[in-house]
Amino acid sequence: MKSKIIKLIGAIILMGIGYATYIWFMPHRNVQAVTAFETISATDLVHAFVTNKEKANATYLDSDEGESKVLIVTGEVAKISKDQLGQHVVLLKNKTDKMGVSCSFTTETNDQVSNIKIGDTISIKGVIRSGAEYDADLDLIENVIVEKSAMLKK
Amino acid sequence: MKKLFLSAALILLSITSNSQNKLATTSGHIKFFSTTPVEDIEANNYKITSNLIPATGVIVFSVPMQSFEFPKAKMQKHYNSKNFLNTKKFPKAKFKGTITNLSEIDFRNDGTYTANVIGTLTLHGVTNNISETLKLIVKEGTISGMTEFNITLADYGVVFEKGKPSTNIGKNVKITAHLNYKQ
Repeated sequence: MKSKIIKLIGAIILMGIGYATYIWFMPHRNVQAVTAFETISATDLVHAFVTNKEKANATYLDSDEGESKVLIVTGEVAKISKDQLGQHVVLLKNKTDKMGVSCSFTTETNDQVSNIKIGDTISIKGVIRSGAEYDADLDLIENVIVEKSAMLKK
Repeated sequence: MKKLFLSAALILLSITSNSQNKLATTSGHIKFFSTTPVEDIEANNYKITSNLIPATGVIVFSVPMQSFEFPKAKMQKHYNSKNFLNTKKFPKAKFKGTITNLSEIDFRNDGTYTANVIGTLTLHGVTNNISETLKLIVKEGTISGMTEFNITLADYGVVFEKGKPSTNIGKNVKITAHLNYKQ
């Protein structure tokens, strides 16, 4: 009886250690493996935030763990740049729009950007981080931020 | 007709002048660092949007809060949760301020300048006055800015008494920002 109790306690301790190890080393979400919440044009996505910021935040941002919606965004390539981390950043914005969707690529997907050029219409899959906003007083243009991006295969 | 052309030329000149005066970036880097006896935590964000207007000294930063990347997924989840930064309700932090010693900074000539900046920081829906310095480096037509300061999380309504964050995350965090402006 005593040995059974010791074995049971040992098993519980091992399970506890196992769970703690799993939590400690739990990998980040693989955005590209997640099914996209919706396919939307850059213009419509910007419009959703400009017309009703609260509603758009509620629709696209996650409240529990910051794991916001994965989207497929389609639009015209207006700018290609690099951030301080060396990640390519592609701005999808139609010529008549003031704001667009800024999509940052990753170490794994950076090379995909070499195949695109200004004016191309493309689709990018990534996770949304924040919405578009324009502060007229400060002339501050804030695009929709999308990260962990990859080109959607045609 | 001549007057019409003159007016149009003046409007065009004014627009060009305004756009040239604004320095902007959409890919600034901000880092926060917290230390406790349990562990050090560092998170990086490369998506700051910032404007700096040399003529007036007005400076503004907007930080998309969900763009902070943590080394561990669980840390990132704690940080974004309702019990901590609640980044769904408060998806952006914003600083609006003014350089108070503008006459000491020459944006046209190479050099390193220390700008004294006063303004307001809104984080987690709470706005506080802050006064910090910003190092500005003017080099061959490019302007970069660097700043480092500490914030007390409780000042912004971020308090946590139960669970891991209370022991693993410091009550004060160090913020470092690096911006490369372009015209």
